[in-house]
Amino acid sequence: MISSNVSMFEQEVAKLIVDTLKVKVDPSTIQPEAALFNEGLGLDSIDALELALAISQTYGYQIKSSDPDIKENFSSLRALAKAIEKHRTK
Amino acid sequence: MLDAPLINLYHPDDILAWDSTGPRTVREFVSDVARLTDALPDRPALLNLLSNRYDFLVGFGAAMLRGQVTLLPQSRAPETLSLIAKDYGESYCLTNAGESIEGIDCVMLPLQIGADHRPGTIPRIPLSQVVAIAFTSGSTGRPMPNHKTWGALVSVAHATASRFGLKAGNPNGAVATVPHQHMFGLEASVMLPIQHGLVMHAGRPLFPEDVRAALEEMPGKSILVTTPLHLRACIGPDVKLPSLEMILSATSPLARDLAAQAEQKLLAPVQEIFGFAEAGSVASRRTIETDDWRPLDGIVLAGHGMEWTIRADYLPAPARFPDRLSVQDDGTFRVLGRAEDQVNIAGHRVSLGDLNRTLLELDGVQDGVFFLPEADDGSITRLTAFVVAPGKTAKDIQVGLKKRIDPVFLPRPLFLVARLPRNETGKLPREALRKLAEHCIGESAG
Repeated sequence: MISSNVSMFEQEVAKLIVDTLKVKVDPSTIQPEAALFNEGLGLDSIDALELALAISQTYGYQIKSSDPDIKENFSSLRALAKAIEKHRTK
Repeated sequence: MLDAPLINLYHPDDILAWDSTGPRTVREFVSDVARLTDALPDRPALLNLLSNRYDFLVGFGAAMLRGQVTLLPQSRAPETLSLIAKDYGESYCLTNAGESIEGIDCVMLPLQIGADHRPGTIPRIPLSQVVAIAFTSGSTGRPMPNHKTWGALVSVAHATASRFGLKAGNPNGAVATVPHQHMFGLEASVMLPIQHGLVMHAGRPLFPEDVRAALEEMPGKSILVTTPLHLRACIGPDVKLPSLEMILSATSPLARDLAAQAEQKLLAPVQEIFGFAEAGSVASRRTIETDDWRPLDGIVLAGHGMEWTIRADYLPAPARFPDRLSVQDDGTFRVLGRAEDQVNIAGHRVSLGDLNRTLLELDGVQDGVFFLPEADDGSITRLTAFVVAPGKTAKDIQVGLKKRIDPVFLPRPLFLVARLPRNETGKLPREALRKLAEHCIGESAG
């Protein structure tokens, strides 16, 4: 398991993903660089919507499709955590 | 011959649709349809996969004028698309620029950005013409076709508008989060606006911020055509939508407290539509007021006990309800539950028998079954699958399923087991599956 270089905040976001989407995996086993959607965890647009809701409730960050980095932000746990840190208001 | 116009209650310079690039007038639309009509290949049917609602409508209109049937698949899974395409006389696909579907001929839109505006009048379509086929998942393993005439689509649009008192110019437009290739999406986000002179938003907003942006682009007050899932996101904290005329929700049951919160926060009535692909929209209710569904004008319920069908002048044959009902003396009805074999995940209906058959057809699968756990809260419940496949990994099975079924039905989790808890008659009692699920989840967590 290559989890040694996962930051505290990435672990927190991993837990949010697992709790929100009930994907029945141990948050610590989510590889920070692995794909969240389609491949990897196999998430879809319903998950994207549920996840966006949880992110706005927890961190006050409103995700929108017109964000230029939207694809990149949802590509992996690491990218998502980075985007949340940058845009969070709480 | 009886016919009805492709779009109704507009002047030539009215805005028909609002695109990301701005307004599209009726004049432009008439010209775009004429150009595409000439350019379509000579085939009997097509899959219209265009994601822009205006482009979709141009393709739909052009296809009707060429006498071609638009196929509305129940899933985007590649094997479903090619199965349907093959069944319907080598049909082709209308796709977005740069997008192609393996094994099916594709025509990409836009064809060309030509400045040549073709003057013309709004075309009329015979009411009896079959213009679309909506597919449903049947227990036979093959997609079941449901033929839609132009008359049926126009009638449902009129009945819906009359139920809610919609008329040209009031409200001004419609914004929708639902896909227009879905039966409810076609009826409420395309047919309803274009038969009543409304501005149709061409986008398909997903996140609440997208919905806000789309509503703000519109020139006036809109109705929002959506689902309980999107609605729940739209009433989240820090979301501020512009004022709305009405919210129309369908595809899965809307909880009354969610409807109440939405009415309070968005200051607009939340109306719910009941429908199914075989019949289209059939009834409505204002969710905060009642559990009872009132059939739309022209809809007749027939049957007894728990077995009911829908009759309407525009339906070629009575359509059987996929749900168990109780019908009251005043003609309203209450939904008691899904018919045995049917499940609905986030508004997508599927036959469990169909899913199980697909699973058993996979290479290396000896036995297997899909199972829908009880919902525990407002969020979407996903299917679970138990699979007996020695030598295969869960990933092998998921990869095989992904080619054949819609992603929304992919099992999450999928458990590999040594055997299924079949009883002496070979059946799988629900209780036994529930216990197996508890056991497997306990093991994976421990």
